[in-house]
Formats: sequence, C-alpha cells, structure tokens
Amino acid sequence: MRNSMDLHHTRTKIIIACILVAALAALSLIVGKYPLTVKGLIAGDTMQHRVLFNLRIPRTVMALIGGTGLGVAGFVFQTIFKNPLAAPDIIGVSSGASAGAAFSIVFISSGMITVTVSAFAGGVLAVLLSLILAGFTKGSKSISIVLAGIAVQALSQTALMVFKLAADPEKQLASIEYWIMGSLNGISITKIPFSAGVCIVCIAVIFIFGRQLLMLSLDEGEARMLGVPVRWMRFALLLVATFMVAAIISLTGLISFVGLIAPHSARLLTGDNRKSTMILSGLAGAIILTGADILARSVAAVELPVSVFTSILGAPFLVMLVIRRYKKYE
Amino acid sequence: MKKKRFLALVLTAIMTAASLAGCASKSGSKSTETGAPTTAAENTTGTQTQTEEKTEEAKVTFPVTVTDQLGREVTIEKEPQKLVSGYYISTSIVIALDLEDKLVGVEAKAGKRAIYRLAAEDIVNLPSVGTAKEFDLEGCAALSPDLVIVPAKLKDKIASMEELGLTVIAVNPENNDLLKEAVELIGKATGQTAKADDLVKTIDKGISSLKDRVGSETDPTVYLAGNSNILQTAGAKMYQNTLIVNAGGVNVAAEIDDSYWAEVSYEQILKWDPDYIILAADADYTVDDVLKDTNLADCMAVKNGNVYILPSDTEALDSPVPAGYLGSYYIASVIHSDIVSEEDFQTEAVNFYEKFYGFTPYKN
Repeated sequence: MRNSMDLHHTRTKIIIACILVAALAALSLIVGKYPLTVKGLIAGDTMQHRVLFNLRIPRTVMALIGGTGLGVAGFVFQTIFKNPLAAPDIIGVSSGASAGAAFSIVFISSGMITVTVSAFAGGVLAVLLSLILAGFTKGSKSISIVLAGIAVQALSQTALMVFKLAADPEKQLASIEYWIMGSLNGISITKIPFSAGVCIVCIAVIFIFGRQLLMLSLDEGEARMLGVPVRWMRFALLLVATFMVAAIISLTGLISFVGLIAPHSARLLTGDNRKSTMILSGLAGAIILTGADILARSVAAVELPVSVFTSILGAPFLVMLVIRRYKKYE
Repeated sequence: MKKKRFLALVLTAIMTAASLAGCASKSGSKSTETGAPTTAAENTTGTQTQTEEKTEEAKVTFPVTVTDQLGREVTIEKEPQKLVSGYYISTSIVIALDLEDKLVGVEAKAGKRAIYRLAAEDIVNLPSVGTAKEFDLEGCAALSPDLVIVPAKLKDKIASMEELGLTVIAVNPENNDLLKEAVELIGKATGQTAKADDLVKTIDKGISSLKDRVGSETDPTVYLAGNSNILQTAGAKMYQNTLIVNAGGVNVAAEIDDSYWAEVSYEQILKWDPDYIILAADADYTVDDVLKDTNLADCMAVKNGNVYILPSDTEALDSPVPAGYLGSYYIASVIHSDIVSEEDFQTEAVNFYEKFYGFTPYKN
C-alpha cells in the first residue's frame, strides 16, 4: 500500500519537474539581448530567425542537455562511491579539463575549437589516469579511485598553475580565468552537435545499465552475488559519466555545484536511491542549469559566469529541501 | 546519525554559496577600485598650453624629489645611470626618452616585443627582472640599478625593494592622462624633462589635430573586439574607448562599465549592429575568422566587409604606450577614410617613430 503511494508521489514529482523544465526552456527562448517578437518571427524576419535558430535554441538545448548530463553524472558518482559528497570532480575531470584548456590557450591557440578539444582531452586523460592508477592498488577499489583522483587532481592543478605562469598576463591569463568561470555564452548551432551527441549517448548507456548501477551502491560482495561484474561495471560507468562531463565542460567551461546538488535534490524528493531518482536527478540538473543561464545572460549588461547562479539557485534549493524533510520526520 | 549527515550537508552548501558569493562581489567591486580612466582628449588643450610654458625650464638638478603614480614621494640622489624597467609600457617610454642605453634590466619576454627589435635591439638580451606576477627581486638587486621603474600592480613588492636599498618609482599608465603623467614622471626622475615634454606635446598635438579633422563628421558606430575572442569588448572605462572617441567614432559598448574586457553575446553584437568591427591589435583570431562567422553574417559591419584589426607592426596600438594615440589615427583612417587616409596614418606613425624611436616603420 505504502509502496504504491510512494510510486504515485514519485510520478507526480517527475511530472511537475518536467513541466518546470519545459517552462524554463520556453523562458530561455524568450530571454536574450536581441529582441525577438512573435510578429517578426512569423513575418519571416531573417535576422530574428537566425538569432532564434543559430543562437537561442542551441544555447537552450545545451543548457537542458548539459544540466541533465551533469545531474545524471553526479548521481552515478554518488551511487558508486556511496558518498553524498562525491561528484565527477573528485576523479579530476574538472581540473584536467581546466589544465587542457589552459594548455591550448597558452601554447596552441585560444580559438574555441582547439580549446574545446584540448579541454576534453585533458579531462578524459585525467580520468583515465585516475582509474588506471587505482587499478594498480589492492583493497577497496572505491577508496583507491578517490585517492588516485585526489593525486591526479593535484597534478592537474599544478600543470594549470605552470601554464598560468607561462601565460601572457595581458590576455592569455585572462582567457584562462574566463574559461574556468564557465558560461554558455558563445554557443551556437555549429558548436553543440558533438557535446550534445556525446551526452545523449552517455545518458542512454547509463539508463540501460541503471539496475546494475543501483546494485553497485550495495556491498561489493552482495552486488557480485547478484551477478554484477562489479569491477568492470564500476570502471565502465565511471568512464561513461566522466566522458559526458568532459564533453559538457569542455564546451562551456567549469560549471560548479550542479553535479553535486541535483542528485541530492532528487534523493530528498524520492527519499531513496532508485531509477526514478536518477530521472529526477537529470531533470533537477536541467532546471538548475537552464535557470542559471537565463539569469547569467539577463541580470547585467554583460554576460556573467553561469556558476555564480548555479550555486545561488542550487544552495537555497537544497537547504529548503533539507528543512522540509526534517519537518516530515518530526 | 542521519541528522548529523544532513547538518554537514547544509553547512557545506552554505559554505560553497558564501565563498562563491564572495568571489562574485570581489569581481564586482573591481571596477570601482581601478578608477575611471578619464577621457583624456577632453583636457588636451589645457595640458598643451601648460607644457608649452614648461619647455624653457632648466634641466633637473639632482637630488630631485618626485611623486610617483602611487602617490609616493621618492628622492633620487643623483642622475640615474643604470635603469631597470619592469613593465613594457615604461620600457617603451624609456626608449622614447632616449634612455635605452642606460637600461640594465627589463621585464620578462622582451624578445616578443617588436618595438624593441626595431628601436633598441640590445634590450632583448638584457637580463629579465620577471613579470608583474613574478617579480625577480634578487635578480633586480643584482643589477644594482640606480632607479627601478615598476608597474603600480607591484605595489606590495616596493617595500621589499626599498629594503634592499633600491630607488623605486611606480607608474600606472592606464589611460591617456596617466600615460602622459608617467612620461613626465620618468622624464623628471631621469633628468630628461625636455624630451618628456616634447613627447607629451607631440601626443597632445596629434590627438587634437585628429579631433579637429573628424570633429564635424557624423560618427559611425564601432565594436572593438578583445584579444582572445570576438565576444569580448571594451566598455566606457577602458583605454580603447578613448581611442574610438578620439577617432570620431561611437563605441557601441559604451553602456558597459567594466574596467576590463567584458564578455558579451552574439545576440548583443547583433542588437548593437555596429558599422565597423575593429579587432584588438594582439587578437588571437583573424579578420577572416570574423567575416566567416555565420553568427555575425547579418551584422552591418560583416555584411559590408568592414572588419579591421589594429596594427601591431611596432607596438599594440590599443595599449597605452606613447604611440597609443596612433591607434586613433588608424581607427579614423578606417571609419572616416574620406578625411583621414591610410597614408595619413602611416605618415603620422613614421614621423612619430622616427622622432622618438629612431626607426622608420611601414617602409615596404
């Protein structure tokens, strides 16, 4: 009886989240520096059409897919490491990507494409290094991965510092800082296919293996008894999740907090770790990132870093959910 | 147990938010700290008459006391024979004041500056005293200079330099007025006042005669794109804004009041729809990149092929070096090509560099 009630509630929550996502997506299409009017769009104003199709829609799509990706990746990490503070950053994807971007800016070119490719390579390299290093160790794999991640993170931070030192302070240093701050500005239709494609594929893979993922949150022995190839599955899912994060942040720059907070919000809403939690986690990520991006482009005369708003939106949201949950317990 | 876990979570969330909020407010206040570079050109006439009176002034007698651009009073005991310049703008001023032979140390990466190779080749091989980020205190002291010129950014290092017995002046040439002040400061500190006055007068005259020529024209709109990508631009408080105004143009981004390159969106550029797009001299991308950028295809400047880049053959002409005013000449030759021709710009540049730097640019 209670079970079916829960299920019913969860479904309602997912529907509400979907409506919220749709509303924010619509708002995201309306808000921007170039004034779009329904009249102009219907009348076939080429300028308005181009702004809508080349800029506004791609940016919105990237916010939705990127947010979902970050939320789902966060869920994967928190589940596998059985730790509410785990996020893709802990195995070095963000610092690796930052170092990669800085490398490109200082030594190759600060063009969008080279920076994106280099950041992606840096992020993936850092993650592979963490996982390979962890593979050499004995004992609990989760802890090894986290420790290896910390080491790799320190290493990439050092590399980043060296690149910053080598950077020309008048422009390259500033470019690195801008990149690290993260923004969905500059995204246009030609730039998103790779990131969006990778995200969609990775999200699909994670959902297909959703049941196995949830079993990884159990005791290692238990999971093995249930027929999950623990070691392999953990490696593969971590790789897929971070691959996705690397694809997102290599295009946008660092986006803080979404991967940490989205799964929390979802878990507080469902009160459990289930597949529906994963769906809600993705939706929460999309809500936070799209909302943050709308603010980032409309609050000031200039574009602001999106991370400022993901945190401003995310933190109170989490606090509110925690408080609500306490009330329920009383 | 569960309670504790949630409490920890809430605390983490609040801490992260607070630290991020801290960052945000810091970057917000940056603009007020740096102060508003004033539009120098407005006061040109005033300074001009002032400097004319000064030309006949006697040579500096040492010891001399100067007030540097951090407001510090510095006494220089005797005419400096060994100079260290830790900033490319002060190095450029030193060359313009004919003091390059006295330099014993310069800022890092001197080899990258075209102007040094053209005007004072020996500078490139001088020991480096580091950058504004990493000033090499001991290396500087080892050169035992009589006078060290550093950027105001190195404010915190000056005390340690003085403890080592060095005489230090700080310059802060962030806009045209401050540049002229820096020229006069270095001139006074090195006993080259006459040359410094001449330089300031030449800059003032160059700007006012350009303003006279383009003054009555209707002003085209200009979008000045930053060094690292097309979506960066210079707002009203930046030196680049003065360059555009002096050239008889309207900076579309004047509504922005950041004191550093500001990030804008493609949509914003399309909304401004500038007549001209001009790229910063050291832009990492090309005019062609902008012309081919499909997102800007409908922008007036791109449609008409009106995309240009500021010259960097000698120095980046959008930086507050003595020759910076030539940047205005270049912009004028682009946006008012009927009044100021490209030859006019080159003639002005040739005259300036021949007089103060002893070489002839643009001699193909």
